[in-house]
Amino acid sequence: MHVLSTFEHSHFIELAITSLVQKGIPKENILAVPLSNTNEERKLFDTIHYADGISLFDKGAAIGTALSVVGASIGFKLQWGPIYWGLIGAAAGFSIGVILNLLIYKIFRKQRLMKRGKKPEVILIIECDHREAEMILTTLRNHYALGVAKLNVEGS
Amino acid sequence: MKNVQWLNQSRRQKAYVSILGTTQLHLRNPYIVAWWSAAFPGFGHLLLSKYLRGFALFIWEFVINTQSHLNQAIVYSFTGKFDKAKEVIDHRWLLLYIPVYVFAIWDSYRTTIDTNKIYLAANREDADFQSFVIHPLEINYLDKRNPRIAVFWTLFMPGLGQLYIHRIGVSFFLLIWWIALVYLSHFLEAVHLLVSGDIGKSTAILSKEWFLFMPSVYGFAIYDAYVNTVENNKLFEDEQRHFLQKNFQHPSFKMPAARRE
Repeated sequence: MHVLSTFEHSHFIELAITSLVQKGIPKENILAVPLSNTNEERKLFDTIHYADGISLFDKGAAIGTALSVVGASIGFKLQWGPIYWGLIGAAAGFSIGVILNLLIYKIFRKQRLMKRGKKPEVILIIECDHREAEMILTTLRNHYALGVAKLNVEGS
Repeated sequence: MKNVQWLNQSRRQKAYVSILGTTQLHLRNPYIVAWWSAAFPGFGHLLLSKYLRGFALFIWEFVINTQSHLNQAIVYSFTGKFDKAKEVIDHRWLLLYIPVYVFAIWDSYRTTIDTNKIYLAANREDADFQSFVIHPLEINYLDKRNPRIAVFWTLFMPGLGQLYIHRIGVSFFLLIWWIALVYLSHFLEAVHLLVSGDIGKSTAILSKEWFLFMPSVYGFAIYDAYVNTVENNKLFEDEQRHFLQKNFQHPSFKMPAARRE
C-alpha cells in the first residue's frame, strides 16, 4: 500500500524522510516529487513574495526613500520639523509605490494577487506494508505535512 | 568544512554559501538597482553583491558630501534659500562629486544586465554549489526565513535584518554607519525633544549635514533585508528540489496502480 502526503519546502521534509529511513523504510520506497512549476506561478501572481522588479516592495521602498529625503529637507522649514516630515514622506512614498503596483497588476494587467496561506510544494509518497502505515502517518504529521492519506488500491 | 568537492568542474554556479553570507545570482531590475545608486552611491553595488566597490563608493559619498556641504545645500535649496545654498557649497570639492556619482549609477545598471545574463546561464547549467559551511567562526546554511521579520528588525535597527539572514558584511557596515549617523546628527536628542513637544528645539538641534543621510540608509537597509530574504528562500527551495529529485525518485518505485480485473 501507499501513504501519500504533501509538504512545503522546508527542513521538515528532509527530517521526515530521514526519520522514516531510520525507522526502516528503504530509501527506494520513498518518492519525492517537487512541483517545479511553483516558481513560474510566483512570477505571475505572487507579488508579495516575488522581488525581481515587479514586487509591491520595490517601488514602495524606492519612492518612500526619495520622498523621505525630500520631506526631511523641507521639514527644516516647516512647523513639524524634519523628523516628522521625513516619516510622512516615507509613509506617503511607500503607499504611492504600493498603490501604483496594485493599480498596474489589478486593473491594467488584470492579474489576481496570490492567495495567502500554505500551498503544497512537494508530493511525498511512501510505499509500505500495511502494518507500517500508521507509524508513517504519525511521522509525517509530526513533521508538519500539509496533508496525509492512506491508499490501498491493491487490497494488501 | 565544505560540502561540495569541485571534481566535475562546472562552468558557473549560481550561489555560494560562505561563513560571511549567502551570495547568489538572481534576476534584478536594472532600473531599481540604478535608482539605489542614485539615492546613495554604493547601494546599487551592494545589492549586486559587489561589496568592495559598494563599500568604497559609499565611503567616498560620505567624504565628498560632508566636505562639499552638499546635504546642507540640498536642505537650503528645498527650503528656497538659494543664496544660502550657494554660500555653503565648497567649490574646492563639489565638482569631484559628479563623475563618480554618475559612474556609480551607470556601472550598477550595466552590471545588473550582465549578472542577469550570467544568472540565466548558471540557472540553465544547474551545477551543484556550495550550500553548507561549518567553520570555527560561523555556521551558514540555506534556510527559509520570514521576510516580514527581516523588515521588522531592520525597522528598529538597520543591519539587524541583514544579521537575521546571515549577511555579515553588509550587516556590520550598516550597523556601524547607522550608529555613527544617529550620534553625529543628534537624532536621539531631537526625537527626545520631539516627544516632549518642543518641535522648534528639536529641529534646531538636528545636524542637517548628517541627518540627511539617514532616510536613504534606512530605506536601503529595509529593502536589502527584504529582497535578500525572499531570494534566499527561493534558493533554498531550488536546492531542496534538486536534492529530492536526485535522491528520492528511484526507478524501482512502484506507483499506486488500480487492480486489474
